[in-house]
This record gives sequence, C-alpha cells and structure tokens, in this order.
Amino acid sequence: MSEKKILEYDVLVVGGGISGGEAALNLANLNYKVLVVEKDLSLGGKMIALSKVFPTLDCAACITTPKVSEISRHPNITIMFSAEAKKIDKIGEHNFEAHVHQKPRYVNIEDCTACQLCEKACPVSVIDEYQQGLVGRKAAFIPFSIASPRAAAIDIINCTLCGACERVCPTGCIDFTQTDNDFIVKTKAVVVATGFNLFDPLKIPRYGYGKYKNVITSMQMERQLAPTRPFNTILRPGDGKMPDNIAYVLCTGSRDKSVGNPICSQVCCMYSIKQGQLLMGSLPMADVTIYYLHIRAFGKGFNEFYDQSKDMGVEFIKGKIGNITEKENGNLILRYEDIEEGKVKEAEHDMVVLSVGVMSNSEISDSFQGESLRLDDYGFINQNDILASPAETNIDGVFVAGTATGPMDIPDSILSAGAASAETTSYLRRASL
Amino acid sequence: MKKKIGVYVCHCGGNISDYVDVEKVRAEIEKDESVFLSKTTMFACADSNQKDMVTDIAEKQLDGAVVASCSPTLHLLTFSAVAERAGLNKYNYIHANIREQASWAHSDDKVGATKKAIQIVKAAVAKVKRSNALEPFRVAATNAVAVVGAGIAGLRSAIQLAESGAQVYLIEREFFVGGRVAQWDDLFVSNETGKELITRLYDRAMNHKNITLFTGAEIIENSGSVGNISLKVRISPRHMKLDCNEGNLGRAIEVCPVVVPDKFNFNITTRKAIYHNFPGEYPQLPVIDMEHCTRCGECEKVCENVDFSQKDEFLNIKVGSVLLATGFDPYEPKDDEFGYKTIDNVVTLPQFKRLVHYCDDKLVYKGKEVKNIAYIYCVGSRQVDGENKYCSRYCCTATIHAAITAKKKYKDLYNFHFNRGIRTYGKQEVLYDESSRLGDIYLQSFEDHPPVVSKEGDKTIVTINDILTADKTLEVEADLVVLVTGMVPRQDNSIGSLLKIPRGRDNFFNEIHMKLRPVETVIDGVTIAGASQGPKNIMESMNSSLAAATKSFSLIAAGELALSPTIAKIDVDNCLWCGKCDDACPFNALTKTDVDGKQIAVVNGSVCKGCGMCMPVCPSNAIELIGYTDDQIESMIDALVSTD
Amino acid sequence: MGAEKVNKSPKILVFSTEKISDPAIDMAGLLKLHYPPTVYTITVPCSSGIKSKWILHALEQGFDGVFIAADGTDCPYGESCVDKTGQLVGATQELLKQKGMDPARLKMAAICSVCSEPFVKHVKSFTNYLMNSSN
Repeated sequence: MSEKKILEYDVLVVGGGISGGEAALNLANLNYKVLVVEKDLSLGGKMIALSKVFPTLDCAACITTPKVSEISRHPNITIMFSAEAKKIDKIGEHNFEAHVHQKPRYVNIEDCTACQLCEKACPVSVIDEYQQGLVGRKAAFIPFSIASPRAAAIDIINCTLCGACERVCPTGCIDFTQTDNDFIVKTKAVVVATGFNLFDPLKIPRYGYGKYKNVITSMQMERQLAPTRPFNTILRPGDGKMPDNIAYVLCTGSRDKSVGNPICSQVCCMYSIKQGQLLMGSLPMADVTIYYLHIRAFGKGFNEFYDQSKDMGVEFIKGKIGNITEKENGNLILRYEDIEEGKVKEAEHDMVVLSVGVMSNSEISDSFQGESLRLDDYGFINQNDILASPAETNIDGVFVAGTATGPMDIPDSILSAGAASAETTSYLRRASL
Repeated sequence: MKKKIGVYVCHCGGNISDYVDVEKVRAEIEKDESVFLSKTTMFACADSNQKDMVTDIAEKQLDGAVVASCSPTLHLLTFSAVAERAGLNKYNYIHANIREQASWAHSDDKVGATKKAIQIVKAAVAKVKRSNALEPFRVAATNAVAVVGAGIAGLRSAIQLAESGAQVYLIEREFFVGGRVAQWDDLFVSNETGKELITRLYDRAMNHKNITLFTGAEIIENSGSVGNISLKVRISPRHMKLDCNEGNLGRAIEVCPVVVPDKFNFNITTRKAIYHNFPGEYPQLPVIDMEHCTRCGECEKVCENVDFSQKDEFLNIKVGSVLLATGFDPYEPKDDEFGYKTIDNVVTLPQFKRLVHYCDDKLVYKGKEVKNIAYIYCVGSRQVDGENKYCSRYCCTATIHAAITAKKKYKDLYNFHFNRGIRTYGKQEVLYDESSRLGDIYLQSFEDHPPVVSKEGDKTIVTINDILTADKTLEVEADLVVLVTGMVPRQDNSIGSLLKIPRGRDNFFNEIHMKLRPVETVIDGVTIAGASQGPKNIMESMNSSLAAATKSFSLIAAGELALSPTIAKIDVDNCLWCGKCDDACPFNALTKTDVDGKQIAVVNGSVCKGCGMCMPVCPSNAIELIGYTDDQIESMIDALVSTD
Repeated sequence: MGAEKVNKSPKILVFSTEKISDPAIDMAGLLKLHYPPTVYTITVPCSSGIKSKWILHALEQGFDGVFIAADGTDCPYGESCVDKTGQLVGATQELLKQKGMDPARLKMAAICSVCSEPFVKHVKSFTNYLMNSSN
C-alpha cells in the first residue's frame, strides 16, 4: 500500500453539487483547506442541468456557472473528479482517514482546449446521460457544453480503443496509459453532500415508461426546456412532433407506499408548475394539464407562482392516475379518478411527463468504518439533532448538507450547506483550542 | 484614454441571441477604433469563456474589457474577477446589460432590441475608455456581531458565531428569550418540548464567554458601515434586582392587584403586572410591566428585590456585522373572520396550543368539554381577497401535529380538518398519514369558497362544500373551532427601517437572491435568519440561522475589509467651501479643511458611501463621484444617442 | 413598419439606481413586460446624486426626455433621498424653463425594487407625452 499517495486537508467534502460546492466555498473563505471528491466528470450536480428555477425563472445555468467557477478557482479548494471515497475511518477526534479511489479520465484536463475534434473523430455513439438519453454522444466526449471543467473524457467502457481521437487531438492530451489512482486523504472533518437520485419510473409499469416513447420523465423535459437543450424546441420522442396537449403526473414515486416511498418529494409540484409555465411560453398553442393530489406550493413566492400558472392557463386536475395506455398514433390515454367529481375518467394527451420524485443516495454510509453513518427510515442520512443542529450526524465530525438529508429545493440546500459549514467550523475550532 | 479594449457579446444560449442579433452588435462595436478585440460567445459566464478572456486580456495586454450579457447583479462580480485574474484592474471592466434590458424587455421587437443593445454596448465602451484603475480602501473589521432577537434563530446564530470566535451581543426586545418556540409544547420530529429546546440553547449560549445577552433591549441608532457599525442600544429596566430570592418574588406576584390578559398565552389566561412568562422562563427573573403597573407599591412591601428606581440604560456597541433574527407575528384574524371574537368558541392555533398545555385530563374551553374540533386552515394565508397571497408553510404540519397531540392526550376527541389542500411536504407527509390512520377527517374547499362558521342556537356549525366528496355540502357541529393562523411579518418593523432592509412582496425581509443567496441582504454586513425572511419550521430556521452566522462571520473573520473606492472626490481648484455638501451628506463624510490658506471640503474615505448626494448641491460643480464622473456620464449619453 | 415606428419613437434616458430601480427594470425584462426600445438606462448609485448638468447634456444632445427612476423611501443611503431628488428635479426644471425648454421633458417617479409594472407604465405614458408634444 506504500504507493498510495497521502494528501492532507482540513475538510473532505463528498459531492460537488450545489450543496457540496456551497459548503466548500464557505469553509474555503474561512481559510480552511478543502478537498471536494466528485464522482462525475464535472461540478454542479443536478442543478446545472436544469432549465430555469422556480419561482424566479432565473436560468439555472446562468446562476450555477458563476458559483461553479468560483468553486473551481478558489485557492483553498482542490477538486478530484471521477473519484469516490471508498473507505472513511475515524481514527480519533479531528482525525479521519479516507481512501479515495479515482478512475482515469484518459485526458489531461490542463491540456485539453475543448476543441471537440476528438468528438468528431470518435466512431462510437452511445446514449447521452446528461441529456437524459434524448440524444447520443460519442465515447470521446465533453460531458456538456457548460461543464466545469470543460474538458474531454473517454468513456472507456464503450471505447473501442481505435485511437482515432488520439490521432486528431491537437494538444496530445489524450492518454490511454492513465490508470486508477488511490489516495489516502487525512482530514479533520467530513461533509457529506451526496445529493439524491431521481425515482426510476420503470418501477411503476402501469405508467408505461420505457414502453411508450411519448411518456418521459420530468428531467427529460427539463433538458428539452434548457438553453443547452438538444433539439432547440420541444419534441415528443416517438415521432418528433411538437406536442400540443401535455399531461403531468405528479407524485410519480412519491407518497406511494407501493414503491416503498411514503414521503413527499417537496420539489415536484413546483418544478412541474414551472415547466408548465415554460411550455406555455415556448408552445403558445399547447395545453398543459397537471394531475395532482395536493399542490405543495409552500416556499417563498411559491403560492403566488402557482396562482400565476393558473392565470396563464395551466389546468390542474385533482386526480389519481390508474394507468396509461398508448393509441396507435402515439397519443396516450390516461385513466384517472377525478377526485372532485368522484368519477373514473379517461383523457387523451399527446405527451405525458412523469414528475419523478427524490430518492436517497447514501451508499456513502457503507464507507464509514467502525461506527456506520446512520440513515433514517427513508434511506436519507439521519440528522442526529434535527431541531438544534440539523447538519449533525451520528458521527462527531461528520456533517451533512443538502438533499443527502431528504428532499429539498435549491435555497433550502444552500441553507443546509451553510449549516454544515457552520458546524464544521465549530468542530474544527474545537481542535485548535 | 484606453486604446486596447476587449468586448465580449454573450448569446446566453439563446436568451439574448434569439432576439438580439449579437453578431451585428459585435460588428458595430468593432468599428470603434479603441476596440482591439470583439467576440461573441455562447455563455460568457462559462468557465471556458472565462479562460479565453483571461488569455486574451493577458496576452494581448488589453487595457479595458466589456462583457455584454445579463444583469450586472448576476455577473458583474464574475467578470471583474476574470479581469483581475488576468492582471487587469477590476475597475477597468464595465458590464453591459443586454438581456434584461434589451433582449427580454424587447422580445417583441428584434430590430429595436438589437439597436438598443448596440447603443448600450457603445455606452459601456465609452465608459471603460474613461475608467481608471482603483484600489480598495482597507479597514480593520471589528470581530463582533450584533444578533437581534433571541428566539431559536437568534440563540442558535449567537452560539454559532461565538463558537467561530466572534464576540456576540444578543439583543432581545422582550424580557425573556425563546420567542415563539417557548410558547409551544411538543415539537414535531423530536420528542422535545419547546421549553426543553430553548433550555438547551439558552444554557449553551450562556455558558459561552463570547456571548452577552441583553433583554428588554432595542437598537435605536445605527451608524457606520460593514466592518465598523456603531449601534446605540436602549435597555429597559426589569425593575428587579439581579440577585433575587424566589420565595419573596412569589409573594410579590401574589399581592399585585393588577390583572391583565397574558400575551404569552395569547390572552386565554391572565397574569399580574409583575410576572414570569412561566416559572423557569429565561432569564429566571420576573419583570414589572410598567405599562400596566399602578405603582401601588404592594410588591415592594413584600419583596426586597423590587426596585422602582431603575431607569433606561443606553449602551454604545461596535460590531462588524448585524444578524437579524426578529421572527414573525402570528396572524391576528379580523373580528368575525370565521366567527373570531363573535362566536365564543372560536380560537386561533396558538391559543389552542396553549389551551392543550393547560388542560390535563379533559379538554375544556369556557367551561365546556370539547369533543369535536374543527380546524380551519389558511386563515391569513393564501388569501383570495386580502394581501397575504403566500402560503405560511409551517401551519399544515403544525396543525396536524397539534391535532394528533390532543387526540392522544384526551379521550374521544374528533378532529375535522377544513383545509385547502394539505401541504405536509417532505418527510412531514408521514404525519398526515398517521393522522388519517387515527381517524381524523379531512374536508377540502376551493380557494374562493372557504368554509362558513355560524351559530345556530347554542351550536357552532361549520359548513363546507367538500371537493373530496364531489362538492357535497357538509356540516360539522364543533365544540371548538381552531383557526389555523399563518405567519405574518412583524408588525413593528422599526429595526428593518433603521437598517434599511428592503422587504419583499410578502413584506418579510428580502434576501439578495432567492435561490443562491438566501441570508444576505443588499445592505452590506446585515444578514437575515429564521422567519424574519419568510415562514419556516424549526429545522429550516436553524439551517438559515447557521447559514446567516457563517455569512456574517466570513465578513469579519479576516479582521480586515476591503471597501469600495468609488467615493466622492473634491476638485481642489474649484471648491470654495460653502458647506452645502456637508449639509447634504447623510454620513458626515465631508469636513472643512485648510489647504494653503484656502478652505475646501475634504472626503473621509472610510465613511463616504459613494451615493453622490453632495454633487448636485455643489454650486461650483467641484465634486465628482469616482466611477460616475461628468466625462464618463456625458460620454455614455453621447454614445446612447449616437447614430451611425 | 415596425422599424419605422421605432425611428419615430422618442428617445428617453432613464437614470436608475443600482440597488432599487435597476432590479425593477431588470424584472420588467424578466417578466417580458414590453416597453419601447428607445428607452435607455444609465445606472447611478442614488437618484439624489444626479447632476442637472447631465440632464441638460442629455436633452441637448438628442434625448427627447429624461426619466429619473427615483429610490423613494427605499433608498439605502437614507430617507433624505426623497427630498433631495425632488429638489434636484425642481431646480433642473427651472433651468429648462430658463433655457426655453419644456420642463415636462424631465420626469421623476419613485420606482421600488419590484415596481416593474409601474416603471413600464411610466415610460409608456412618458413616451406618449413626448410623441404628442413634439408634433
């Protein structure tokens, strides 16, 4: 094990989304040395992929990118991409040892100019995860247009090692000899900001996701509405037609014990209402219907935003969806219980968006050696003292930020990251006293 | 004047280029011979473009830069930082807003939008040509923070700031700490009571040497600016000596003849003019309510601790930052709103919670046992006619929790929830689920058809068109009607007005940016925490107070602040000292001085805020504002009217 | 036809303020509340720091009107802003009269940080006034 590089930091932040980033910035601004370990190829997590944010309708990319560049150029922050904290040992107070495993990118970030010649040369096409599978990308690729860092990477699983990218690269930054790296990170405190997973709608077969092409997820719609969107307009995947009668199915995977998730995801109502408003803007002739159980428009400016969408003509039906079937022309029939009328009804739409919920992403809990990181009933990281110190976990010195603790929107994530950095500061100061 | 200016025109991924012909803007600007380089870019703010700019500025030795993109509130700092990284002084960077003020404002007129964008960028180029490198003023920052309000948000912020190493003045207007949470018993999520939570926070705060608590205290004057803020605090007396003997105090309270409604219990009980909020409140020392005290002297006779000679004290403190945690007021229903004050068994949710606190085996209100409770939601929130359009966020969960608590405490209690769509977001959903399982009944109405509370004989009836049963008209006979009142901003906004904190559409304090900067305000050095910014539950208030503490502390942590150099400047030759500028300056930044036998005005750079109020009053036009000089403004005007 | 209309539309210079009226004008754009594109903005820190000299310069150099989007009582530099802005507007209008210019070519209204709709209303009605008065 002597070949493992040893690194030392004040704080290890696991996750480079908006919460991890904010926590890292707060700590770095107080002069602590921070290492951010990010499993993906770029910063910004889920937020950077969004279209606009509710209820201000600021463009998400426009407000995320400056934050992301602030993080990436802060002198006190180091970021490790394609990396995971595999093992975290608490040796004593203010003394953690994390084993970080980094997969190779096969590209030297510093030399890459993002010229995209490798993308053009690469013969392998695969599904583009960032665009939610709506389009393809190459095996040699830049993750997305506003990625930070904006540098190519090689998807080695799909790469045929044909060498085409290497030959065209003007700076010679592609390097297939790169190998896995293992680091031992010595740190005084840990902030867990591992975010969330979106609910996988394949778990509800009666909605037909994966079977009917015009049933998509809200994240796929988010990409179709974003400034860096794949088609430059809204298209239904089945036949490329512009939809004119779109349905939203709220609570897909939330408040649903049959899929093991009894809680509300807190953001789906608002992002669906936002998408409804954006759709009314970009497809002025289209009808948008939102099928809901309760509208959770609870935050600052949310209820006003909800009222505004009703004024704009978004239709709201209090209804429970039974199932979805497809007609020959690709349109979809929603069978639902209209709660206000107490009747079962059917409605035809040419596109259905499943407003998928927020699920926990806490594999990190297994990385902790000895005392494991406790989870709550829903798989989120347990808040040890939720009413007085919401960022505290069961392990002293390990703090939690953002949606790793449960569903929340962007401002709540920022506040939670603020709390995590505050409590980390207190903990670190105890070490120096 | 500059000769090597770089101009970058942003597409903003279509937000600009869909309406403004950015290529045409670039081509027009290029014609200016001082423009050395001009480019368009998909996202000016993207890291790759920022890198390009750094390379351009450094390698081509540009002496000025302009980015034409979105509002400066979003990206001015981003690009001035880019300039600095490239070695260009940030005051040689000028931002042009062609999104909010061109492409979006004129999306109905592409020709007009493009033309306007060209003029805007020309004006920015005109300004940057005449800009100079400036260095910030560095001043020492006081390592102390004033936390206003000692409810949970204020207490928690104070603890955090103290633990981070700052001195904290915790300033509470009431005579007891704990705010609203002290008035609540069982809390949701944990098994704690409000009092236990407050005890925990109070003990932790009082055990920290960095925290000084003032009760009965209010900030009445404010001067200075971030890093060095001087506050004058008025401390009203408790009229009690500090070292008290509890036994005699009890006697004093007993003999006091004045009986007034107890605000702590939302007037469902009474107290004396000398009172505790409740025994064990913090600080554990009663207070004499001078508004109601008749000075009969009875208490003084039995208790040696009473001291009517105490007077207001005034204290001057110096801090680097102010954190506002001033909380909310519960909405007070109007007379006859759902029968409030006209039907005798209608109470508010806060009153109901106190009632449950005081009733042990049976729930009794005004002598009658309560079996059926009707909760009417969204009273004072989501108003169709009133001004409060917002949702108060905490009340659905708080009500369901209170209803479950009551149901578990008393036998044969029936809860009927007259709601407008239950908003138990997130994990709070499980509480709603539990309540349904316990047999609580939910009835829902539309926004514009709220339920009606009426009196029929001695019965109180709540009627609703219930949309959950296909709009059937349903009636419930209620022994008690609980109005679920929301959170409203503090009626007394004196601290907000004193510090000039802007308020939002909902009248709560407004943050700088709703998404990414939720605890900072436009007033440098002042942060906002808890429900003062908008309705929140306890956990959310805690997150916000910890976040605000972090932001306040980071301002002063370095011990030094860099202040803006864009201040007023006196033209020594033209100034004749008439004193008009001194009269106009709200910050006393101008004073008379003698230079070679001539009396002229001089600007104190660490006090001047750069507002420019002194300029228009100067009879000899001897004052200019750095960054807004006559030459700069007039050349911008020329550029805006120029035609090609 | 659209282009012609634009050419005829009077040019208005708005002096707006960084912290108060700028956000409202920006929000007008965000909400796509349209107003004539011949309305231009120069940002200053505070509306009570605008010189008569600048206003005269604008009107003499080709602007048809100047609109001061004043801070009103929200001014971060203090409430005296209201009176001071009023005074400078009054004094400048007096100067305009002396020069034989229509004092109504200078207009002022308080525009709070969320007053997007009032802003658009003001500049539209000012545009109409200037259009009619020039005929």
